Order: sequence, then C-alpha cells, then structure tokens
Amino acid sequence: MRFVSSLRYAPAILVGRAVRVLARWRKPGGGSAIPGVVVNRIAPGFLAATLNGFPLGLVIVTGSSGKSTTTKMLVAILRAHGLSVFTNQSTANISQGLTSALLEQVSLAGTIADDVAVLEMDEGHGAFIAGSLTPRVVALTNVMVDQIDRFHDSEMVAALLAKIAARATDSVVLNADDRYLADLGSALEPDVAVSRYGVTAEVLAQYPRGLGYADTAPTRLPAGSGLQLTRVVGRDADVQFATGVHGIRLPARGIHYAVDALTALSTASATLGDRFVPAMACAALSAMPAVFGRGEVVTVGGKTIEFVLVQNPSSFQLNVDSLEPGTEQILVIIGSDVRDPSYFWPVNTSGLGHVLIASGLKAHEIGLQLAYDDVAVDRIEPDVPTALDAFLALPDPASGVKTIIFSADGMRRTRAHLGLVSNSEDPV
Amino acid sequence: MTATSSDRPFTVVSLLPRLLNTNGDAGNARVLAQRIRWSGHDALVVEVHSRADLPEHVDAVSIGSGTDADLVPARDALRTLVEELRVWSNSGVPILAVGTGWELLSWGIELADGSVLEGLGLVAGHAVPRAARATDDIIVASKYGRLIGFENHARDYVGAEASPLGRVIYGTGNADARGSGPQIEGLTMGEVFCTHLHGPVLARNPALADHLLQAAFTRSGLDYSRGARSESVDETARAARNQVAVRLGQLAE
Repeated sequence: MRFVSSLRYAPAILVGRAVRVLARWRKPGGGSAIPGVVVNRIAPGFLAATLNGFPLGLVIVTGSSGKSTTTKMLVAILRAHGLSVFTNQSTANISQGLTSALLEQVSLAGTIADDVAVLEMDEGHGAFIAGSLTPRVVALTNVMVDQIDRFHDSEMVAALLAKIAARATDSVVLNADDRYLADLGSALEPDVAVSRYGVTAEVLAQYPRGLGYADTAPTRLPAGSGLQLTRVVGRDADVQFATGVHGIRLPARGIHYAVDALTALSTASATLGDRFVPAMACAALSAMPAVFGRGEVVTVGGKTIEFVLVQNPSSFQLNVDSLEPGTEQILVIIGSDVRDPSYFWPVNTSGLGHVLIASGLKAHEIGLQLAYDDVAVDRIEPDVPTALDAFLALPDPASGVKTIIFSADGMRRTRAHLGLVSNSEDPV
Repeated sequence: MTATSSDRPFTVVSLLPRLLNTNGDAGNARVLAQRIRWSGHDALVVEVHSRADLPEHVDAVSIGSGTDADLVPARDALRTLVEELRVWSNSGVPILAVGTGWELLSWGIELADGSVLEGLGLVAGHAVPRAARATDDIIVASKYGRLIGFENHARDYVGAEASPLGRVIYGTGNADARGSGPQIEGLTMGEVFCTHLHGPVLARNPALADHLLQAAFTRSGLDYSRGARSESVDETARAARNQVAVRLGQLAE
C-alpha cells in the first residue's frame, strides 16, 4: 500500500508548504531547507513514511566515493526503462533537504506519483537516518580513507555502511574488489540477495597504484558471478553481463567513472529484475552528458577547457594517472575547502610533469607539494580570477587541451568567474 | 661507521609507509631525499616494510602516522626493527617520527577503552586519551624557527617535558594549557625528532629538514649546504607558513 495512513501527515504537509511560501517571500530563491526543518519537527515520521512508500521501493547509493556519479547514472538507466524516479542530491542536512524536496511533490495523502526513489547518502548521515528506512536495494561503492577529519578510519566507515546495508529488504549491491565491502557482503543475513560486481585482473593490472580503495580484495570476482568490467580505454569501457558483452561510453575519462557505471548497472539490474535490458541500460549510460566539473569539456571565449574535479586523495591520484599524456597546459586550483594541506600529500603528483599556474587559497601549499614531486610550476597565483585570465589568454596548446584541476571551492570560483551557468543538479 | 657518501647515495628510510602514511607523512622521506639531491648529492628513498627491505646504509629515517586500526600491526612490525632503531638513535642517525609513529616509539599508548598498547620504549613518555580530538593548525616556537603545521590527534603525550621540540604559540601540542608550566609540543632526543605536526612538516618547515640533513651529512664527514632549488622552494614554504600565521593573528616572517 502506498497510502501512508490516509491523511495523517496532511496538516504537517500544509504547514511545510506554507513555510516554503513564506521563506521564498522573504528571500527569493532561498530558504529551501527551512520547510523541512519545520515538518521534521512537527511530524517526525513524515520523511521515512514517504520514502518507504514508493511502489518500486527506495534505492540507497552510499560509500566513500562515486556516490553522485553512480546515482545520476542509475537514475538515467531507470528512466530509460520507463520508470518515473524521485531523486535528490546529498546535502549535509540530508533529512531536512529531503523533506523539503518531498514537500514539493507529495499529495496531501502523503503519496508521490513516482515509481521509485533513488537517494545518494553520505555514509555518516545515511547511517543516522537508516534506522527508520526500509530500502529495497542498497548499493555500496567503496571504502576510501579520505575525510580524515570526520571518519577516522576505514573500520568506522565500513561499520557505518554495514548499518545502512543491514536495512535492505531485497538486495545489497557491492563492489567485490573492495576488501571491506567483500567482507561486509559475506556477513549479511542470508535472506538478502547480494549482487557483486568487479573489474577483471587485466583491468586492475592497468593501475599499478590500485583503484584507491582503503584495502583491495586479494582476489577478483570469478567470471559469471556478477557484472564485470573487462576493458577500459579512455572514455570507452566493456561490461560483461550474463548475456554477453556490451560497450559503454563514459561521461569522462577514468577508471573510477567506469566502476561507477558498473555500480549503476548492477544496481539497476537488482532494482528492475527481469525488466532490466542491458543494451537499453548501456545506451542510456552512454548518452549521459558529463557531470559538471568532473571531466566536463567546456568552451569559453572560443577556448576549449577540460575540468577535472578532485574531491579526495584517491580521486586526485586517479585523475593524475588518467590524464591524457602530453597535456601541456595545466592549471591547478586548490581552495579553502582543503582545510588541512597534508590531505593531498599521499598523492604522487609527478605525472603532471609541468603545471603552468598553481592557484587558490592553498596555492602555495599545492605548489610546495608539486615542487617536491619534481613537477615544474611556472607561477603561483593565489587569486583565482587573475590565474584564470592568464591561463585562458594563452594560445591553444599544441598537444592536449587546456586542463583545470580543481577542488570543489576552486570549481565554484572558476564557474563564477567564467560566468558558466549554474548547474541545477548542484547542491544549493 | 661513518661512511663517506662520495661513493654511494644518501639513503633515506621510509618506515612502514603502507601502515603509517595517513596524512602523507611518508612524504617527509621524499622531502629529505629531494633536498639532498638539490644540494648536489645522490639520494634515494628506501621503503622498509619488514627487515628484508633494510638497506646496508641508513642516513635518515622517517616514520609517519597511521590509523588506530593499524596500531597493533604497525607496533608489531616496528618491534622486529627495534635493534636497528636503537642503533640508529644512539649513533646520531636523524629520525623523524610523526603522530602515532611517535607514540609507538614511546613507553606505550593508553587507549580509550582503558587498555594499554605497549610501545617500543625508545623515547620517554607515553600517550593518553584526550577528552576531544585536537584538529587544527598549530604554531610552535622552536630552536629550528617558528614551525607551522597541522595537528589531528585523539591523544595527549605525557613525559616529554624535559626535552620538547618547542613551545606552543597556537594550537594544542602535547596537551592543553595547564595552570603551571609552558604548553609544549613534540619531543627530541639526540637527533630523534617526534611531533604532532603531521603531513609534510619538513616541506613546510625546511629549517627543521636542514637540521636533520646537517646531522646526516656530518656523520658522513660532509658539510650540508642548501641547494639553489631549495632556496626557491623554501620561499614557497615561507609564503604558505605566513598565510597561516597571519590568519591566526601572528606576524609574517
């Protein structure tokens, strides 16, 4: 039954909508989390009841890295199969943000017209609210040591993910190459199906520094026991399904995008069951536009620029290793979001070879690291607009495209300065 | 024992970089090796995971910080090298130990559940749990100049009062300020330097790096002088330090 005890939440929904109107009146375009705060206060069961009420259930995507990309891929695949999908960007205050988003679409009876909900959840907040949710499918991406200030070790991250996975009523989809997740899968209750996916030994061998997991499983997934990534070259990858191999075109170059695609395909298969059509899924994936700032190629003033977003040491390393050889114009922007400059030191940046400008609030810090990695740095310019103007003024490179590697703060400043349209999918 | 380095490269050992490199502290070995090269000498970094990896000559040692989950395996691995560590520290080989790497060289680590993990007993003192994790920038006045770094530790260090690395100007260091005595950071014993300043402490504070290198060169009968490349890189380090100092209300250098 989709009805959440008829009109039980109608008063709270009406109050939430009224608050939303007031909040927007006072501050046009703003106040998006406020209605959620109010409704969660007066009707604490609303969020869980609504999320648990979708006909095809709730799908949660969580893990250290790759959640956003995987979620967007999964939504595209499900929509290609004709489903109507409710989805939301993960934010720090996931409960309030979600409640506010649900208020936009929910009927007074507490139901939403969509078939299925797909939510990206931060492992910390996810574990916090998971107790009240009954997701049909939980997808786990990986365990990486990244947010060192918040999650102190891999065991803690794995324990949070286990807590979320334990709520799955139907199946848990997991990365079999991640030792923590492989162990987690073996410890799950037998009444929940476990769908495993992984890369082949040949693919793994292409990445001598590994795939960034806190601990890589000692063995690869045996052929035939789950979806396998059998080839990655540039933006092209091959996936082995039970019925045969299908090629996919990734939204950006890099093994991590290929693994995200594999996660999304496995999760779509678990969600759709017999309705899952591999060829349709792969076509939907390949048609996706690049995720903003994560390998997107843009044209500004006639100049082509590739954006590379680094969110943690693992993604920084993978992006350095995946850079097109011979890229001769590189700008690195590390901003105030990197609180502790030690954060990126585990990364071997020597593959960059030559950086034209280091910029952002942490320009000197990243310049120092690059220097010790024998990367030539021509200029250190903390002011981002000045650095961008100088970088764009250079003639087009003879080899490769102009490449900007930035932290999230660097991305925001770059986008603001270049007047690029704000991405509606970005968290507010 | 004082081998001259004219016929062999300087060898910097990075101890247990798989277990003890949470914040890139193992990068300190790379910093030492690069500065040696920039001074006109050959240098190599040897990663030592077990006794089998030990090189014939050791000129400097870097030990990083790890997660609490790896405390026992890291301690057990270090124990197999305790004789070498003792010989190095007694013969003036410069050793840098950061965070949990330092704690493991101490008498022991008192854990949050009340149990005690015995350390190697190479340096005085021990680690005890803090009420709240100390995570912030840290500024220390030391013999090697004003050191600026980042600390992130869940334990205090007790027993370094006789020979700290320096006095805390901003931050926590070995323990919060108390009524009596100066607030101190780190521990030194001969050429053994222990600190909470994690990550690339030697890159950000090249004066400390050069002190370690001078000790290493002296053992080889050579004099260390900073190379031209170091001079320009050290300007970048100074700018990075000044940015933190000014933000925290201190004067720029």
